[in-house]
Amino acid sequence: MSPVVWSVLGMIALMVIGAPFWVAMGLGTFAMLASTQVLPLTLIGEALFEGVDSFALIAIPLFVLTGDAMVRTGLGEKLLNFAEASFGSLRSGFGTSTVMGCGLFACISGSDAADAAAVGRLTMARLVERGYPKPYACALVASGACTGILIPPSIAYIIIGLVLGVSSSTLFVAAFVPGLIVLVSVMLTNAVINRMRGYEHSQGRFHLKKWLGALWQARFALAVPVIILGGIYTGVFTPTESAAVAVAVAVGTGLIQKRLRLADFPAMLGTSARVCGVVLPIIAVALLFSQALTVLNVPQTFVEWVMGFGTGRTAIVLLFLAIWIVAGMFMETGPNIVVLGPLLWPLAKAVGMDQIHFCVFMITTLGLGFITPPFGLNLFVMSGLTRTPVSTIAWYALPFALVMVAVSALIGFMPSISLFALGR
Amino acid sequence: MRRLFSALNRDAERWAMLVCYTFCCIVIVQEVVRRFVFNFSSAWGEEAARYAFIYLGWIGAAFAVKERAHIRFDVLLQRLGPRGKAWVFIVAEVATIAFACIALYWSLHTIRQLLQFEGATPVLRINKAWFEAAVPIAFALIIWRSLQSLTRDVSDLRAGREPYAGKAMFEE
Repeated sequence: MSPVVWSVLGMIALMVIGAPFWVAMGLGTFAMLASTQVLPLTLIGEALFEGVDSFALIAIPLFVLTGDAMVRTGLGEKLLNFAEASFGSLRSGFGTSTVMGCGLFACISGSDAADAAAVGRLTMARLVERGYPKPYACALVASGACTGILIPPSIAYIIIGLVLGVSSSTLFVAAFVPGLIVLVSVMLTNAVINRMRGYEHSQGRFHLKKWLGALWQARFALAVPVIILGGIYTGVFTPTESAAVAVAVAVGTGLIQKRLRLADFPAMLGTSARVCGVVLPIIAVALLFSQALTVLNVPQTFVEWVMGFGTGRTAIVLLFLAIWIVAGMFMETGPNIVVLGPLLWPLAKAVGMDQIHFCVFMITTLGLGFITPPFGLNLFVMSGLTRTPVSTIAWYALPFALVMVAVSALIGFMPSISLFALGR
Repeated sequence: MRRLFSALNRDAERWAMLVCYTFCCIVIVQEVVRRFVFNFSSAWGEEAARYAFIYLGWIGAAFAVKERAHIRFDVLLQRLGPRGKAWVFIVAEVATIAFACIALYWSLHTIRQLLQFEGATPVLRINKAWFEAAVPIAFALIIWRSLQSLTRDVSDLRAGREPYAGKAMFEE
């Protein structure tokens, strides 16, 4: 057993015991560097600074802040009212509207957990009122909120862009349609389950007048995603700039409409700053870890080993799918992206996969990890909001998870879904 | 004096984070406005925002240590009694302190070199050590916060109390 293997085992042991991920990873990397001497230890001091010295990363807290400001100013509620006016007349009307609400929120906030928390707070009581069992309602919101990182803007795409050196604007363009497919598949799954189990039975008609009314009411709320996505897609803003402008718009609207007071600011900034404090050390340390792996030639050895089986592209896609599903179950998306991205990209390259396609496929599959036990962040958020046990929610989320596996496989096998928006 | 210390103990990171965060937002927004209105953007804006963000993030990490908000497995934790939980937290805090000492030592090393060789940043022309200092400052804070948690956990363990479980990422 080489010292490298011992270091990794020690790292995993620390994680399993319950040490913070970044601490376990940091100690593991230190042990690896100290025992092999492949890189000077001074690298640690530099990497903790240089690794996170990126303008793109500033977007992470800003996209969380925008979402938070939207909820506090009541703009989030208007988005949901608009979603309900659009789909409320269907049999599974409120369920479908909730998922659409998650999707609209995903166009504003870059994080899954923020999406789940925001939509869950606003819809949970009414979902139960409409006839959905509470754990199912939790599972529905948790699944819909998986689009938080799949529909741009997205923290996950910013991180993978940083790690593999791809522009996050390009990734955002490519990711929109795949994210939308996941959203629609969650809606359809809910409609089918609802038909089978008979939870919700909404009736009514679509009223154009009402819809236009809701649209007008939600004009400021809808302006925010239009600014964010429009700004990024037309190339007027970088993602970070668009996030800052969206913050300014959301906060400005709140102040003008007197829905937001200056006294709200510390709590509001505190939430997103905490997200930043949690994500940043993970990125910094995981980058250091993956640098160490690269210098130790681990990715290359892995490629040679896998290609030694004479594997083709189909097998590689299936292998990726399996690795990412399992990784998503046990780890948080941040470290997964930073560690697995550079490790698996050489393999994808060896079978001729496009880099953008690789990123979209990876993030979509990892997105599944938000609703799979034992470590599904959205399940925990919903459990925290409703005091329902995580395992019960996870059981109800199973059909959604299975459908998402199918969608991920589709994206894996059909590169054109991820690439057509870029004209490739 | 004592009130000042207890206020610092409670909110020091929060104040620092608020300042960095607000600065970061304002700098980026004014850059965008300037580009649209005056068709001119400064060179220093991006650099200043980036460094403010690094301070924000690393001080935020110390804050998250204090609040136990860092992401960890809690599958094992949930199955343990108060004493077992206290032991897990003690091991986790010791690990945190160990890594923080390593990070503190090597990041101070980087700063010493920068001070020695006058490494100025490309645009602001200020010695980069001022910005790199975010890392050792934050890790010193992390050590301090970890020690605080550690003593609390040890006394919880002795008394057989349920240890502080921390806040989830989106709890207020």
